[in-house]
Parts: sequence; C-alpha cells; structure tokens
Amino acid sequence: MDDRSNLLEVKNVVKMFGGLRANDNISLQVEKGEIRGLIGPNGSGKTTLINLITGIYEVTEGSIHYYGRRIDGLQSNVIASMGIMRTFQVARVWRDMTVLENMLIPAFTQGLSRREAKSRAEELLDFALLIRLKDKQAKSLSGGQNMLLQIVRGFMHKDLKLYVMDEPFAGVHQSIKGIIIESIKMMNQGKDVTFLIVSHEMSTVKALCNKVTVLCKGERIAEGTMEEVANDPQVIDAYLGG
Amino acid sequence: MKIFNLKNIGLLVLLIVAVFLPVVISDYWRFVLTIAFFYTIMAASWNLLGGYTGQFSLGHHTFAMIGAYTSTLLMQKAGAPFWVSIPAGILLTMIISSLLGVMCLRIHGIYLALITWAFAEVVRNYFRLHYAFTGGDRGIDSPLIFGTMKPTPYYYLFLGIAVLAIVLIAVIMRSKIGYYLRSIRDDPIAARSMGVDIVRYKIFVFMVASGLAGMAGVFYGHSIGLISPVMGDFNEMAMIIIFVVIGGMRTQAGPIVGAISVRYLMELLRAQSEFRIVILTAIVILIMRFFNGGLMELFRRLKKWIRRDREGPVSAYQELEQKQG
Ligand SMILES: Nc1ncnc2c1ncn2[C@@H]1O[C@H](COP(=O)(O)OP(=O)(O)O)[C@@H](O)[C@H]1O
Ligand SMILES: [Mg+2]
Repeated sequence: MDDRSNLLEVKNVVKMFGGLRANDNISLQVEKGEIRGLIGPNGSGKTTLINLITGIYEVTEGSIHYYGRRIDGLQSNVIASMGIMRTFQVARVWRDMTVLENMLIPAFTQGLSRREAKSRAEELLDFALLIRLKDKQAKSLSGGQNMLLQIVRGFMHKDLKLYVMDEPFAGVHQSIKGIIIESIKMMNQGKDVTFLIVSHEMSTVKALCNKVTVLCKGERIAEGTMEEVANDPQVIDAYLGG
Repeated sequence: MKIFNLKNIGLLVLLIVAVFLPVVISDYWRFVLTIAFFYTIMAASWNLLGGYTGQFSLGHHTFAMIGAYTSTLLMQKAGAPFWVSIPAGILLTMIISSLLGVMCLRIHGIYLALITWAFAEVVRNYFRLHYAFTGGDRGIDSPLIFGTMKPTPYYYLFLGIAVLAIVLIAVIMRSKIGYYLRSIRDDPIAARSMGVDIVRYKIFVFMVASGLAGMAGVFYGHSIGLISPVMGDFNEMAMIIIFVVIGGMRTQAGPIVGAISVRYLMELLRAQSEFRIVILTAIVILIMRFFNGGLMELFRRLKKWIRRDREGPVSAYQELEQKQG
C-alpha cells in the first residue's frame, strides 16, 4: 500500500480488557486530507480505538502506523508531538486553569514562544466566541463551552496533521455545534488537517465526512460513503438489532 | 507586566524589614525566625511538589534529614570541608529523590503518600539504628558553619537561602514548566495527550523540591550544631503540610505566610507545650472548613470586600462564586 496517501493505518488491532474484546481485529486506513467518520452503537469500541491511536492504551495485538511509522507503544506525548491531537468524549480541560492557559499548553509543548502562542490562542478564542471568557477558570464554563475549548485547544498545535475527536457534538448547544463544524471545515481546507470523528449525529456525519467506518461489538462491519453504509444490511441490523 | 506593581513593592518592603529586623529584636527571636525561614523553604518546596503538581509526598522532611546527615557525616567521618560536604549533601538528596520520583511515576494520590511515607520511615530508622555510624537517637554533632552560636549570621544565611528558594520556585511557576506542572495535577491524561512529557516533569519537580529541602537541611544542621532522627519524625511532615494549608496551598505567598505565622504562634503558645498541637489542629480544621484557600484566601476576600465598597461592578470571580453558592 502507498504510504504517502495513508496518513493513518490501523492493522488488525485487538484490544482486550480481561476477557472482553473491546476492539476485535480492526483495520482501517485514513488518507491525508480526509474527514473520516467513525460510527457504531454504544459500546462498539470507538473510544477504545481512539485511546489506542493516541497511546492512552496499549494494543493487545496488531499495529498502528502513522506516515508509515509504527506509533503503537509510543507515549501519548510523543504521539502528540508528531502532530496528532485529540478530544475526549467527556471534555478534559484543565479546570483550575484559565481558558487562555488551557490554550497555551499545546502550543508550548510544541515549542511556540509565549508571544506566538498567545496571539494564536486569542485568534482561535475569538473565532470560537470564547474570547471574553479567556481569563476565567475552565471550571466556570458550561459543558458545551468546555467541549468547544477542548476542540480549539487542539488547534493550538503548530504542526497539527491528524485530529481525532470523540463525540464532539454530544450534548452541545446548536450554536456551539455550528462553530465546531465551521472550525473543522476551516482547518481541513485551510491547513490540510485530517480528521477522524466519532459521532452519533448521522446528519452531521453525512454533511461533514467523505467516508465513514462502522464498528459493532468491537469489529469493523462496514466502510464507505454514508449512503453506502446506511443501506448495508449489517449496519441496519447493528443499529436496529441493538 | 509592570515591575513596580503593588505586589512587588510590598515584597521589597517586606525584604527590607527582614534585613533590618535583627537590629530591633533579641537573640532569642532571631533564632526563632531562623527556624521559621527553614520551615518556609520546606513549606514552599513541598507546595511546588504536593500543591502545584499534586504529588502528595509524605517524605519531604526526610530529604532535609538526608541532606543534613550527608554533609555532617562527610565532615565528621571523612574530614571533608564545608565547600565539599554542603554541595555533596544537596546533590545526594537530588539523586535519591529522582530515584524515588521514578519509582512513584505510575503511583497517584493516597498510594504515592503511602510509598513516600514508607520511604521516610525506612530512612529515619536507618539513621536511628546504625548508631555507631550516625549516633542513633542521640544524634550527631554538626560543625557550625560560622563557628559561633550567635544567631545573627544564621538569620541572614537562612533569609538568603529562603529568598533564593522562593525566587527559584516563582521563576519555575512562571515558566512554561510551571504550566506543565499545573496541568499534570489538574488532569494528567489531558496533559499527556496535549504533549506534556509528564514523566520528565514529575521527576524534575521531585528533584527540585527535594533538592531545596536538602539544601535547607544541610544548612539547618550546620546552624543548630546537632542533628538527630527527630528531623525524620512524621510530626515534621505534618507541620510542613499545616504551614502550607494554613497559608494557602497552591499560592506563592501561602507557604511563607503559613510557616512564619504558625511558627510565631507556636512560640507565643510555648507555655501550653503539648496543647499547642491541639490548637493548631483546630485552626487547620477551621481553615479547611471556612477558608479552603488558607490565609491567602482570607486576604483575597478582604481585598475584594474593600474594593467592592469602592467599585461596585461584580467581577468574574464573584459571579462564579455566587453561582457556586
Ligand atoms: N478501561 C476499560 N476497562 C474495561 N473495559 C472497558 C474499558 N474501556 C472500555 N471498555 C469496554 O469496552 C467496550 C467498548 O467501549 P468503548 O470503546 O468505550 O465504546 P464506544 O466508545 O464505542 O461507546 C465496552 O464494552 C466497554 O465497557
Ligand atoms: Mg465512546
């Protein structure tokens, strides 16, 4: 397979939690510039896969490659420094730090100066309509604002290549959802950032993603455009059969 | 940021007062303050480790003990001069603490506290039991660095190293590393995912905090003239935490305010002897209940209260506080 087009390649990955196969022989390739959707019923192993890609968990079997280089087994911070950022299903912001401070850290770890980091942060916060909250502690923000902060925080990485998002639209207000979609499009077109997005919102996934991968009970059961997978009997079964 | 803001001017005034204070106080109080400066370093460095970074170590006092014993034993048993034994004492605490830091990498919260406490007990018992070498419970004479029992030079020595330690901690906390340390305490998983090398900074903070404690301990020995395993008593650790909590955890002035005011209070209550600890504990409970942020929180509220009279508009902080009730 051509390594240049494959930004991310997951090869036969298995993740066991005790006797549970949370990810069961999953393979998938994401090309540079894609916005890939990752869908599947609850408990199908989406978050687990993200945690494997970003080095939070160790794979039980199989391997994960990024630009042709093996990244499974690397520390999360090393993976981050290679240009992979992520968000968490339940937003993980630094609650006792201010909104601005939250933004600065990923820029600092990637060697941006204070001045550069601050102006970039203010630009992004402005875009996300969070600028007037910049000196507030993150714990004073609403759930949706925290999700938004978590998302724009990842954009602070100066060499962001792959952005993995775990349910970025879950439980956020319609207006915030709009900003998130807008930022994804902007970074994809303007900065050539590749996205892997877990979401339950079929309409959003359909509008945003060129291609979707469907997981069910830890296995990859389908892949293709939203129309293709929506008509796949296995997928229909997975969603209707529970 | 302005250099001549109110806070910095206040600090400068405090420093000038501290420099001239010995002129107007007795030898006894000079000695009391010297000890208070020792505890200021211990409290400030523990705040860096346990407060800002969330590495709740219960072995911090032990590093002062290791520093003190190393330097003293090198002089007494190997005839080393001060300029060798003092750096050696500090260096050894940094080496041992980074090893302990590596051991504690994957350990959090209560387990970290337990491991560091066990480490502290092992070290303390080592010094107690190897009496042929360490003098056991009786302790060992430590050569006085100024060759005199008069407290004034020691006062300035400890004032100097306390300022040094506080400045070093302030510089670290304002640097990028300071952001990383706070992010590690707040949410280590988020920190790792956002590129923070938490392994490196956890070991770094262990090494710096313990190195400062080691430095304080080395000079403590050479100022008091006698060191003993009492330095390793858990009481010492408890006092350090009390200073930080009363002063204000995770604030820069908190440990200083805490250490000096509580040491002062303890002197005033000297006649009460063992009852002092009861009074202190009661104060800690009151502070935890009403001023979670310690004395610094009290100051902040007072300041806010005075400002509110003058200014009126509700600040973001007040808004937040009202929301939380
Ligand atoms: N840390 C863990 N320990 C044990 N089981 C886990 C852990 N994380 C996830 N699981 C299990 O793995 C399965 C997949 O979970 P997850 O990846 O969170 O699914 P999804 O994100 O698709 O809803 C679930 O059955 C879940 O209970
Ligand atoms: Mg999930």
